[in-house]
Amino acid sequence: MNAIEVTNISKTYTSFFRKHKVNALINLDLAVPAGSIFGLLGPNGAGKTTLIKILLSICFQTSGTAKILNENTGNYKLKYRIGYLPENHKFPSYLSGGEALKYFGKLSGLDGLRLDKKIDELLELVKMSQWKNLKVKAYSKGMMQRLGIAQALINDPELIFLDEPTDGVDPIGRKEIRDILLNLKTKNKTVFLNSHLLSEVEMVSDRVAILNKGKLIREGTVKELTEKKHEYLFEFENKIDDEIFFNLATQFNLAQIRDECYTALVIDSAELNKLIDTLRAKNLFIKEIIQKKSSLEEMFISIINEAEKKNNL
Amino acid sequence: MNNILIISWYTLREAFARKVFIFFAAISVVFLIGLAVVFSLINTDSILSSMNPSGDKIVLEQAIIQIQLMITAPLSNLCLLLAIFSSASFIPIMLEKGNIDLLLSKPISRTQLLLGKYLGGTLVVFINISFLILGAWIIISLKFSYWNLNFPIVILVITFTFSILYSVVVLFGILFRSSVPGMMIAYFIFLILSPAIHFIKLQLQTLTGKEVLKSIVDGVYYFIPKTSELMGTINSNLGQGKPIGDVQPVLSSFLFLILTLFFCDYLLQKKDF
Ligand SMILES: Nc1ncnc2c1ncn2[C@@H]1O[C@H](COP(=O)(O)OP(=O)(O)OP(=O)(O)O)[C@@H](O)[C@H]1O
Ligand SMILES: [Mg+2]
Repeated sequence: MNAIEVTNISKTYTSFFRKHKVNALINLDLAVPAGSIFGLLGPNGAGKTTLIKILLSICFQTSGTAKILNENTGNYKLKYRIGYLPENHKFPSYLSGGEALKYFGKLSGLDGLRLDKKIDELLELVKMSQWKNLKVKAYSKGMMQRLGIAQALINDPELIFLDEPTDGVDPIGRKEIRDILLNLKTKNKTVFLNSHLLSEVEMVSDRVAILNKGKLIREGTVKELTEKKHEYLFEFENKIDDEIFFNLATQFNLAQIRDECYTALVIDSAELNKLIDTLRAKNLFIKEIIQKKSSLEEMFISIINEAEKKNNL
Repeated sequence: MNNILIISWYTLREAFARKVFIFFAAISVVFLIGLAVVFSLINTDSILSSMNPSGDKIVLEQAIIQIQLMITAPLSNLCLLLAIFSSASFIPIMLEKGNIDLLLSKPISRTQLLLGKYLGGTLVVFINISFLILGAWIIISLKFSYWNLNFPIVILVITFTFSILYSVVVLFGILFRSSVPGMMIAYFIFLILSPAIHFIKLQLQTLTGKEVLKSIVDGVYYFIPKTSELMGTINSNLGQGKPIGDVQPVLSSFLFLILTLFFCDYLLQKKDF
């Protein structure tokens, strides 16, 4: 089952006097399996926040349809089952952290002792218990973010949207937030994550999508996206003879970087073994093979660059 | 309904935190103390006997009521101006980026948000105006030893007038996400447009002919809220315990309020945040 299904969604923002048009999303299709952690990546202005806001009916698509939890977006009652941490959220500054949670808990249909218990539980979870009674206006950025996460979980949602959850949070806090997300997953909740911090998305997400200028340019598991092309560094005893190199280069994606050092791009380990066999058959003496596994970050940058190049053509 | 009440309640808390209550209370207390001091200095008997040389009881009561209205009328108008000022930012603050996203992610409809804020704002003003008007009423009544039990109804009339102007403030708040345009328009309606149209209409009635002009003025007159009549004749009639007189200003203003709120809701439903 999919927790989120987006079909052919486009969003064009028009300014008040219709002078400026921004195509924030262009014919987007996306499906997020229930019970998974899904990471949406993309540079600033890619349309990540816009997508979440459309799913929550905070803004409306220009065309296309979206379903969450198998229901059409737009029915506000659906939000009993959803949690959301907006980017740059603000809590009423006159409330304390605990009171703010009470406010949003009440709006989520909770009340009384059950709500009080839930509030304490969540403050404990995000390590904010000691600041429960401090006014929100005195909170630091990271504290606001933690409270925001607690708020998103107040109604025990099945589906949680988090827009840059670790923004402004210290490294230990980030680790704690990652643990919270992984814990949600064990409870079979679906988490939809927007982030710039690719290394973090990599650590928790089951699937990732890359959005650029409103278009989806890649989607898959983190493994698929990062391991698609293995790059290996080969060092030989001697430089490869020109003629042999030419032969090899027609068969494999091989390039010389220094005298005895070459790089090879292979799709999988079968191809790698084939390459090694061929090299050995030609009596080339291999001194060292190093795998250059691209991180999501490198992959992200190269994909975005590629997309930019295509756009410019 | 529950959602509307929650939003209203937190609007009251917001007003409290923004010192709206303290601000109003301070002004009211200063005024009430002033009134008490003035009353303790003057000899009311001489004023009353000059207004009512015959000493007739009915006439005497009428005189007291007149004094009551004379004192509270300018005050009510001032209250209304302050009320608009202090409630103008409720909607823009709610619609700020970061606030509205959070609210709309909860199971609450946009209509409920609108009504909650509207009700909350009106309640804030009702409480503050009650404090001032009841205070003035008690002081005046004690001084003259006469309790005009009709007088507190003035609170409802002022709150009603406010709620009409507030709908305009809310409308422009939604349109521009800023408090200033709505405030300006509300002041304009209250201070200039409504009195002016009322005045022009009365003047035209005395003239013969000019039928086209008359019907245009009539059209405008029936459309715009009649805050001038509400705060004038109707306030004074009800405050004196007289019948309301012409109910048309009340009904047409109420219709204006309802239409404005429907339009607010329509705009809010469509709005992208
Ligand atoms: N309310 C709005 N009115 C007009 N344009 C908007 C509005 N909101 C977003 N945009 C535009 O839509 C595009 C996508 O914005 P969005 O906020 O979705 O990006 P994002 O991927 O979340 O970026 P970031 O990583 O910086 O948060 C941007 O070009 C932005 O300028
Ligand atoms: Mg964003």
